[in-house]
Amino acid sequence: MSADDASGTGAGTDRESDAVLATEALTKRFGELTAVDGVDLRVERGEFRSVIGPNGAGKTTLFDLITGAQRPTSGSVRFDGEDVTALAPHERVRRGLGRSFQITTVFSGLTVRENVRLAAQSVHDASISRVDRFLRPKGSFEAIAADTTATLKRVELADRTEERAGALAYGDRRRLEIGLVLATDPAVVLLDEPTAGMSAEETAATMQLIDEVLADRTLVLIEHDVDLVLEVSDRITVLDRGRVLTTGSPEAVADDGDVQRAYLGGDRG
Amino acid sequence: MVVEALVDQLLNGLTIGVVYVLLAAGLSIVFGVMDVINFAHGELYALGAYFAFSVTTAAGDPNAFWVALLLAPAAVAVVGVGVERLTIRPLYGRNPLYHILLTFGLVLILKDVVEFVWGPGNKSYPVTPGVLQGQVAVAGFDFPRYSLFVIAVGSLMAAGTWYALNDTRVGLVVRAGAQDREMVRHLGIEVDRYYTLVFAFGAALAGLAGVVLAGRNGLEVAMGDSVIIPAFVIVVLGGLGSFRGAVVGGLVVGVVQTLTRSGVVAEVFAPVPVVGELAALLPALEGLVVFGLMIAVLLFRPRGLFGNPEWQSSEGEGDLLVGGGGALGSVWRRRLALGAVALLIVAPFGVGLAYDGFVVYSLLVSILVWALFAVSLDLVMGYAGLVSLGHVLFYGVGAYGTVLAADGRVTDLVAAVPAVGSPLAAGLGALGYADSLPLALLTGVAAAAAVAWVVGYLSIRVAGVYFAMITLGFAELFRQVVVKLPASWAGSTDGLYGAELSYSVAGVSLGEVGDVVLVEGVAAGPVVLAREVRLLYFVVLAGVLGGYLLARRVIEAPFGGVLTAIRESEARAQFLGYNVVAHKRRVFVLSGALAALAGGLQAVTGLVVGVGPSLLHWINSGEVIVMAVLGGMGTLYGPILGAAVFRGGQELLSTYTGQWRALLGLVFVLFVVFLPRGIVSLPGELQRRLRERGGDPPTGAPAETPAEPKLEGDD
Repeated sequence: MSADDASGTGAGTDRESDAVLATEALTKRFGELTAVDGVDLRVERGEFRSVIGPNGAGKTTLFDLITGAQRPTSGSVRFDGEDVTALAPHERVRRGLGRSFQITTVFSGLTVRENVRLAAQSVHDASISRVDRFLRPKGSFEAIAADTTATLKRVELADRTEERAGALAYGDRRRLEIGLVLATDPAVVLLDEPTAGMSAEETAATMQLIDEVLADRTLVLIEHDVDLVLEVSDRITVLDRGRVLTTGSPEAVADDGDVQRAYLGGDRG
Repeated sequence: MVVEALVDQLLNGLTIGVVYVLLAAGLSIVFGVMDVINFAHGELYALGAYFAFSVTTAAGDPNAFWVALLLAPAAVAVVGVGVERLTIRPLYGRNPLYHILLTFGLVLILKDVVEFVWGPGNKSYPVTPGVLQGQVAVAGFDFPRYSLFVIAVGSLMAAGTWYALNDTRVGLVVRAGAQDREMVRHLGIEVDRYYTLVFAFGAALAGLAGVVLAGRNGLEVAMGDSVIIPAFVIVVLGGLGSFRGAVVGGLVVGVVQTLTRSGVVAEVFAPVPVVGELAALLPALEGLVVFGLMIAVLLFRPRGLFGNPEWQSSEGEGDLLVGGGGALGSVWRRRLALGAVALLIVAPFGVGLAYDGFVVYSLLVSILVWALFAVSLDLVMGYAGLVSLGHVLFYGVGAYGTVLAADGRVTDLVAAVPAVGSPLAAGLGALGYADSLPLALLTGVAAAAAVAWVVGYLSIRVAGVYFAMITLGFAELFRQVVVKLPASWAGSTDGLYGAELSYSVAGVSLGEVGDVVLVEGVAAGPVVLAREVRLLYFVVLAGVLGGYLLARRVIEAPFGGVLTAIRESEARAQFLGYNVVAHKRRVFVLSGALAALAGGLQAVTGLVVGVGPSLLHWINSGEVIVMAVLGGMGTLYGPILGAAVFRGGQELLSTYTGQWRALLGLVFVLFVVFLPRGIVSLPGELQRRLRERGGDPPTGAPAETPAEPKLEGDD
């Protein structure tokens, strides 16, 4: 996939181009420390963007600012042409900004099906009447059940629906989490180091899964490992000490001297 | 004269304040280092006093007091070591809220142990050394020597603690541990090893406080009760985990409390216009001011006045463990439930045959009411993960709302509203409002729902332990309001009794509550089939069943699904697009309403319709938590079981011993330690143990792994 096949639907409200997700001069300070420093990020619709940088570059803070887990000191986040800077995380999710967690986070005490059903319910939540919401059995909503089943098939967990999520093997849990993100039907998916702590084999399997299941979405991948993202990304943004060092194609980034210095020669890393 | 009174009261305030400092310092250090909110701290204080009482009584020599001053705190420290090793230690790594539950169980045990060993009734040390008796004149004022002694001992201990914390290696580790436990662990220091020491030290401080204050105020079994809430207030004001906060908070609360209570401030300001009149109100407002302050601090500066700004409580270290069925399938569970309901329906028909009226109209009714109360708590605790230590607030508002409506005071209040008041009151009159049982109950429920909305709106933003403390604060605030307001408002300390209610709406009446008997007595020839079946019982049964079914229905609806998700992982639920805070607030309102229904039913099922302030005591909040955890929280039916076991156990045990609370407390502590998922998980747990013995290798930590977790609704 590439940045070129981005379609123009829906994002026409954004002035300059077809950016589905954009940050403007996004800044986060903790006392003396500026973790994110005036970041301008523009992610095109349909793009696979990776944000890389050495440890302490501000990747996770940037991620938190975009998802709403933290509030910026200054600057703004625009999603689909709308300023979402002041919105709570759940409101951003409702608008189509999904996320996965670095450490796999599923509802481990619930069944696989209930996990996915909860995600699917979120999409239909606005259309559930007040009485139904409080009094109608949760399993009796057909649209939700259909979406649940479809997602379970998509992530190949259709034969394990009654198992407890906590009892799944690691790979299947990862699958389930991707399923949770998918079921909320996001336009943009933010992935926070989805392969952290994995073996080479698991890493390959996870990246393949992401590629398969989320290929039709806009993806923003936060990653420490440069080599991992070179193959899959359309474009790569490199962060260093809270600032954008460069943004470009994988080839351009790989050849960039500044990037190599940030990773190899710097006083941090 | 006024100056003398002021100096007198200041000294009194300082004396109490110093004792508070000792208590709060122990409480605060223990919390700072171990994240343990020790409800039993007040009981350790009482133990110190009683140990000293034994020493002084046995010796009979005035100077034995000096020995007691050393021995009693040491003995309390030993008790502290035992408590930490045996009960608190197994819970590290679990959600910190379990420590609150556990130490509440310890309160029940220790209080009864004290009563059992030393007997009820007030006591005082037989003799104190002569040097501590009488007055000493300083700068023209007479000071009681004993008060000066208390202040000296307290100051010395506080200074010693300060030194130990700041200038010793142990103190350094303790302080560092309070700041950032993980960091200290990474430095290769086993913080855990210091836990026993810290807990024992906190216990010794509490014991010492008890020894010295009892020499002035005497001893009583409930003495722990009377200091624990102020101690909490101080710790919260000063900042959980802050020693400096405990010192300043203790002195301030001690002095302010004493001055406002004594009325000396009112006397001082009496000549000044306006200010004098305001000052005259102080004695009545003392409790309100203190708890209002506590709530405000929790809301706007949760770390307290001196707390560590980078305070990180290790919330979410572990989950609240919910009950699970396992051994019984849903079909069988449903059959059992229907069977139980059928038995409850026929129970009154056996009155006078197999058992007397007490069993049905007192015991069963009480179990049912507490069951509903426990179910309401389970909604917030077991599903939303909010441990409310002040649930008695809603129970109480329900009871008081019901009685006030029945009393006609609500109508009077409405009539007093300008313009719209009179026609509204007339409308209520036409509905027969002041006589109607359903409308009275509805009033209580509506009032509690409104209160729950406000309390939830304010407090749900703070998490975990802070939420527990803030709800406790609101409940105590309400109790203070009821007690301190003039009796014409809510009966003050006497309560409100004797209102009359009917089963009526808008003039259509079945008769008065308590009087309506469905079946007078049925006999088939010489065989008596039934005696006196009262309608009220079925009203209670219907209310409780209805409340339970409503709760279950809600839990099985989309809303309840989200609640379960929140309990499992708040962050995940939020990033699925759910407004976590809004869901918690809504379930809090529902829970408040159901608790109020329980409270209203409680108020109308006594010998006479009525309610008193003892219903608002925090021990009731604690007991309902005990029931929910005992039965198995997060199941809705578990808490019902818990209520039955607790109330039934109480009834059974109290025929043998006055110390039934200690036995139930012990059972509860054992459950918290070994079977935190409650009675409902017992069959599954047993099955699992048997399987393991059958040769399967054990998997995971025994108590933490559910045998067969509860997945969906229970049918």
